[in-house]
Amino acid sequence: MRGNIFVITSGKGGVGKTTTTANLGVALARLGKQVALVDADIGLRNLDLVLGLEKRIVYDVVDLAEGRCQPRQALIKDKRINGLFLMPAAQTKDKESVSETQMARVAHSLGADFDVVLIDCPAGIEHGFRNAVAGADEAIVVTMPEVSAIRDADRVIGMLGSRRARLVVNRVRPDMVRTGDMLSVDDVAEILGREVLGVVPDDEEIIDTTNRGQPVSLDPSRRLSAMYAIMARRLMGEDIKPLEIDADGLWTKLRRIMVGQR
Amino acid sequence: MSNEVRPQEELIALPAPKTIGDALAAAAAQPPEPVAVAAVEPPPAEPAPKKRVRMPRATEAKGRAIVITSGKGGVGKTTVTANLGAALADAGKRVVVFDADVGLRNLDVVMGLENRVRMHALDVIEERCELDEALVRDRVRRSLLLLPAAQNRDKDEIEPEDMTDLVSELTEQFDFVLIDCPAGIEQGFRNAVVGAQEAIIVTTPEVSAVRDADRVAGLLPNDMPARLIINRLRPALVKKGTMMSVDDVLEVLRLELVGVIPDDREVIVATNRGNPVVDMPGSATGQALRRIAARLLGENVPIPDLTQRKDWFSNVLSKLNFSRADAKG
Repeated sequence: MRGNIFVITSGKGGVGKTTTTANLGVALARLGKQVALVDADIGLRNLDLVLGLEKRIVYDVVDLAEGRCQPRQALIKDKRINGLFLMPAAQTKDKESVSETQMARVAHSLGADFDVVLIDCPAGIEHGFRNAVAGADEAIVVTMPEVSAIRDADRVIGMLGSRRARLVVNRVRPDMVRTGDMLSVDDVAEILGREVLGVVPDDEEIIDTTNRGQPVSLDPSRRLSAMYAIMARRLMGEDIKPLEIDADGLWTKLRRIMVGQR
Repeated sequence: MSNEVRPQEELIALPAPKTIGDALAAAAAQPPEPVAVAAVEPPPAEPAPKKRVRMPRATEAKGRAIVITSGKGGVGKTTVTANLGAALADAGKRVVVFDADVGLRNLDVVMGLENRVRMHALDVIEERCELDEALVRDRVRRSLLLLPAAQNRDKDEIEPEDMTDLVSELTEQFDFVLIDCPAGIEQGFRNAVVGAQEAIIVTTPEVSAVRDADRVAGLLPNDMPARLIINRLRPALVKKGTMMSVDDVLEVLRLELVGVIPDDREVIVATNRGNPVVDMPGSATGQALRRIAARLLGENVPIPDLTQRKDWFSNVLSKLNFSRADAKG
């Protein structure tokens, strides 16, 4: 096993699995990797929207799992960046229409052809979760510094078995951490007892870029691109620190440097 | 906390309670002092009777069972459930909020009741305890109760018929049964919906949330009235054109709008502390939730256009922190 198949999961919904999958995929492709993104949220697919590829779907992962098409027919190549491919989910099917074995087979066949496979897991811990996890070597658990998200992440980590699980702490608001209204990244890591792969601050840029199907990582000048670039390099085994958003507030610092205010 | 672990004894000691809700109202009226109760009628020597106190059936007004669902997770189902429950209880209604997210329960945390949960819905269904024993009373509101979900079980372990029975039993005792649905459209979703008569679909003004809401609306039974809450609206972003407006969302979804809730960072603080946002004075989010509760009660409360209001706070905030020109230096 090459260990290049990652499931991106969270338990709780809306913490940023799909956004993380899309942006981490773009950042990995930017590093020159061949990347396949698999949308495992059958019936509630969204990765295609976030990537802006929804109009190009012909076949989907259920077709592939049931042998109605070849991987290369279902894969959609992102024309904006080299090496990035999407395996879309079916929208009108049930999650129960695919078995864990079938999903694992899909993941492994993509894993043989690509440098990295990222599987976007549905929310919850039902059949769809088990499908998404079945073929993964490792897990990336996305969470937020919020009690309910952490509790769900804890539950999910317990269900990942022996797989290595690393954390992406999403939607951190440094100002709220400073005032004590939000848990810090260190607190989250300590509660969950897992290594932090990346940290992403809360930023309204994400809403806009998601709505327009333009992942923020496509534009290196965007503020959040750097966060995903570091996450990608860490995932590829580079020994660099996850960008720390310290108590002073990264944006406060950056703004001070760029604008010279405060 | 000792008064929390004996709902049955209270029910028995109080003079002829007709329903749990009546008993609660009575309990709220008098100080919840177990010693005083015991003085009126000494507890029986044998262990507390395990038989269920059967409530009289079919009072003319059966309660309304409303499922709060969304498809996409993290759009605010649980927060909306907890806060509508609180607001409806404040309006004098007997309310139970029912966590249907088996295995990933959170309603107890959001309400700050996680340490008081003893039994859960699956215990009731599998007859390990009576319904009354599983209900957890809110810390502040005596007529608001929580029916928790099981945390270490699977959603597939509940049959739809069990849910229908449980919800219908709850509607006999409460004016409102608010069912907090799990994310997704799998078994957990189907179970949460099956016992309800009405649905509230929560979405946020984002394409992915709206698409999932559309999918969920199509999966609800045809005869189930579904109304829409648009959550986390940021008027400043709508004005900038980077966020879908209420009209944009309604054009896609074509559902009856029951309320629009502005985004508010206070919600995170309140949720982490287990306090309802409706209790925060001056919170626009809390006010919006109270208006929704009033509309559920049939009051004619207009839905204000949040983008029209001169929201100086978010203006100041956007100038200081988030404006794009500023960020690019």
